[in-house]
Amino acid sequence: MSKEDPVTAEARRETGSGTDLWSVIISPSIWALHFLVCYVSAAIYCQKLGRDAPLSDIRLLVIAVTVIALVGIFWSSVRLWRVHDRSLTDDDFEYEHNTPEERHRFLSHVALMLCVLSAVAVIYVTIPMLYLESCR
Amino acid sequence: MTDKRAETEQLAKVWDNPRGWRALSDVNNSIVGLWYFAAAFAFMLFAGALALIIRVQLFVPDNTLVTAEFYNQAFTLHGTVMMFLFAVPIFEAVAILILPGMLGARDLPFPRLSAFGFWCYLIGGVFVCGSIFFNAAPDAGWFMYPPLSTEQSGIGADIWLLGLSFIEVASIAAAVELIVGVLKCRAPGMHINLTPLYGWYVLVVGGMILFAFPPLIAGDILFELERLLDWPFFDVTRGGDPILWQHLFWIFGHPEVYIIFLPAIALLAMIVPTFAQREITGYSWIVLSALGTGFLSFGLWVHHMFTTGLPSVSLGFFSAASEAVAIPTGIQIFAFIATVMLGSVVRSVPMLFCLGALAVFIIGGLTGVMVAVAPFDFQVHDTYFIVAHLHYTLIGGMLFPVMAGICYYYPLIRGKELSRAYGIWSFWLMLIGFNMAFLPMHLTGMLGMPRRVFTYGADRGWTELNMISSVGAFIFAAGFLLLVWDCVRPKRHQRDVPRNVWNAGTLEWAARFGNSWGMRSIPEVSSRYPLWHDKDFLRKVDEGEGYLADAKEGRRETLVTSVLDAQPILVLRVGGPGWLPMIAAGGLGAVFIFMAFKWWLPMGLGAVVFLTAVLRWLWTGTAEIPEKKTKDIGGGKRLPLYVSGYKSTGWWAMFITMTGDLTAFLALLFGYFFFWTIHSDFPPPDMFGPGWFWPTIAGALILLAWALTLGARLVNSGGQSSLAQLFLLLGVLATLGGGLALMAGPWTSDLDPTAHAYPAIVWALVIWILAHLATGMLMQGYGFARLLYGKATPTHDADLWNITLYWHFVAFSGVLTAIVIGGFPYLT
Repeated sequence: MSKEDPVTAEARRETGSGTDLWSVIISPSIWALHFLVCYVSAAIYCQKLGRDAPLSDIRLLVIAVTVIALVGIFWSSVRLWRVHDRSLTDDDFEYEHNTPEERHRFLSHVALMLCVLSAVAVIYVTIPMLYLESCR
Repeated sequence: MTDKRAETEQLAKVWDNPRGWRALSDVNNSIVGLWYFAAAFAFMLFAGALALIIRVQLFVPDNTLVTAEFYNQAFTLHGTVMMFLFAVPIFEAVAILILPGMLGARDLPFPRLSAFGFWCYLIGGVFVCGSIFFNAAPDAGWFMYPPLSTEQSGIGADIWLLGLSFIEVASIAAAVELIVGVLKCRAPGMHINLTPLYGWYVLVVGGMILFAFPPLIAGDILFELERLLDWPFFDVTRGGDPILWQHLFWIFGHPEVYIIFLPAIALLAMIVPTFAQREITGYSWIVLSALGTGFLSFGLWVHHMFTTGLPSVSLGFFSAASEAVAIPTGIQIFAFIATVMLGSVVRSVPMLFCLGALAVFIIGGLTGVMVAVAPFDFQVHDTYFIVAHLHYTLIGGMLFPVMAGICYYYPLIRGKELSRAYGIWSFWLMLIGFNMAFLPMHLTGMLGMPRRVFTYGADRGWTELNMISSVGAFIFAAGFLLLVWDCVRPKRHQRDVPRNVWNAGTLEWAARFGNSWGMRSIPEVSSRYPLWHDKDFLRKVDEGEGYLADAKEGRRETLVTSVLDAQPILVLRVGGPGWLPMIAAGGLGAVFIFMAFKWWLPMGLGAVVFLTAVLRWLWTGTAEIPEKKTKDIGGGKRLPLYVSGYKSTGWWAMFITMTGDLTAFLALLFGYFFFWTIHSDFPPPDMFGPGWFWPTIAGALILLAWALTLGARLVNSGGQSSLAQLFLLLGVLATLGGGLALMAGPWTSDLDPTAHAYPAIVWALVIWILAHLATGMLMQGYGFARLLYGKATPTHDADLWNITLYWHFVAFSGVLTAIVIGGFPYLT
């Protein structure tokens, strides 16, 4: 990517597809997967080992999954961070112009904000696992 | 140059609505949307009347006005009708009515599908509502918990299950229609960042429907199999578990709350800027919050099940997600408030309802945060506190915004203005009546009054609070009726409203009242509020300077554009009036309705009618080979009239439908593993089967059938149509073999589905796949016939693309089923 000359890079930014709808939903999808893995694994664990089982083993799994999820969201954020976060046309966050470039920035902005929201939600969901002791 | 007047006349002729009794064959969005709307309101009034009966019954303690049995039916039907027949359909109604205008399309991409959905909805709705007049209405609460509903309910539970499954067809049809509409039918130049916010919300909600409704359909199938054939999915004595139903129901039920809320709040996103006379503040923030809410709302379902005894860590996950969803929900509310504060607000009735909606919804949201805390929920679960909470969210989040939408869009749809005085009276009556009815319920609940009791003793101390609530309910109803009267009262002597009466900026206001084609010509859009930013906009549209200003070939046409940047790519010919959608809906309705009464012969006839109508509809009205390759749309642009594969709208419709279908399959599969989780021995030791042999054969044959179908498409596009036909015929045989082999597994190992939940779920999965294989066979045969009769050719192969896409999904779920039922028992 770095080898591209500025003119080509500019043209690609202007006309290329850039951030599309699928990449906007990457981070919330990571949240959804994380949520499912946490819930399903804990539910199976507690069902199979009984209500008195300590949560220690499953806690490690949930923490590991959380770290993976946060790394994934972070990676997605870094990718989006490279997109200049303001409109090039009038230097604001309104993204109201009719160019592919503006659309690209708009979707990147939405996707970046969704990364933040997803990270917060991932951390929220992990919290109960940190302080609960057993399956009861 | 072309004669402008002749062009307009031609458009009017092509888009003319059928009259007289033929009016019922109409499929145009402006008419079907109105029908939808009227039906939804009729059902709403019916359910509202039931609510008033409930409130009269609770007015005094120890009341004997209605019996406990009737009361059960009344509250069940009230909840069911409000949720399934009003709240969700009203979204579909409004979207079908105004979305094409907003996007600058002449109609939605599949008008006949909208009509089909409407008729399904109407037939199913009348069936479910009508049951109460025969003392046969469902009576186990709107979420139909087993074992109460499986062991005790009479025919009511069947009516609920089958009637609503049927209506869900309409919802999924609408989701397909609306998602494709938003993604592919925007006016040229309407980049995704310029799309009206309503379109964004519709997109999110359409996506949510695809993941929320199918689990309920899966649950309905299991439930009906238990009621009809005694397969014990929810019967603890035979290895079932009622909690499975609760999971499947609430995986649907919680997102459904947001499916109701988001499109209504989307109306605020259109109304608030108009009356603040400025652009919406934080457009991208609202998009983000709609998307975020859409996702997070799927992580909340267990908060309806906090008292079922799940491990506290499970409750913790859901409690946390329930708190997290308040963040995106809050963001959009703040964006609306900011828009109001930054603009100079024009005082108007729609704006009153908007502000009322925000106030009421915020109270409901706050009590929502309270009940998301599990220990608090333990205290108030199933009390009137919950009743108060859910009415605050639904009436603040849905009814008030819809009222605002009615007042706002009435002039656009009917060409007349509503009375301002009536509107103001109606608003204050509703706001005061609503708070009077539901605010005291928080207290009634905390004083311990459970929901769904038909009466209570005078010594409980709930009397005064209930009296206040009942009086409030009637004031609320009066306000509502006043608005309804204002809408339906004759307005012949009233002046027509001027065009764009509120001075709005969005595209739907560019249409003139009284035609069904939307705008005179489809404009090139370059901003979010074209009517504000381009003073010359209306003139250009009206003088036919935009695209598709004519309909020379006498066909109804609209533009298809690319997803992100809305570059025009295709002229789409959409269906005109016809009876087939109604006939198909009638046939399908007969299947569902007669199944409830176990009248097998009429049910079979209904199935034949349905299939014949659908095949005829497809054969005569889809993937038609146009008379020429391209068409001049004006402005020196020529666009193709036929595309296939992922460029076409039909392919996307198939993709979206099958995504929903896959979700339903995964929900069934979830049932299989759910039973594995709760049993220490699964499969039970005395049940071996279906073995690995037959599932392996089945998997292989299904893969073969898939490969042959895909091969048919590939060789056909290489020009060898007759080889493709051969492949499709062989595909039919492979499919048949695959289906038989799949059935042979449980059949030869004597798995009796009534004995235990294990064989029952294995059979349920097998039946699901069998039904899909049968449909797949029908499609292969259809593809064969299309090629044979020259309706599909190597260059016009949309049918084959869609059939292949269907087969990708079926092959995946078929092979997965074979692996699970054949292989999983060996792992445990």
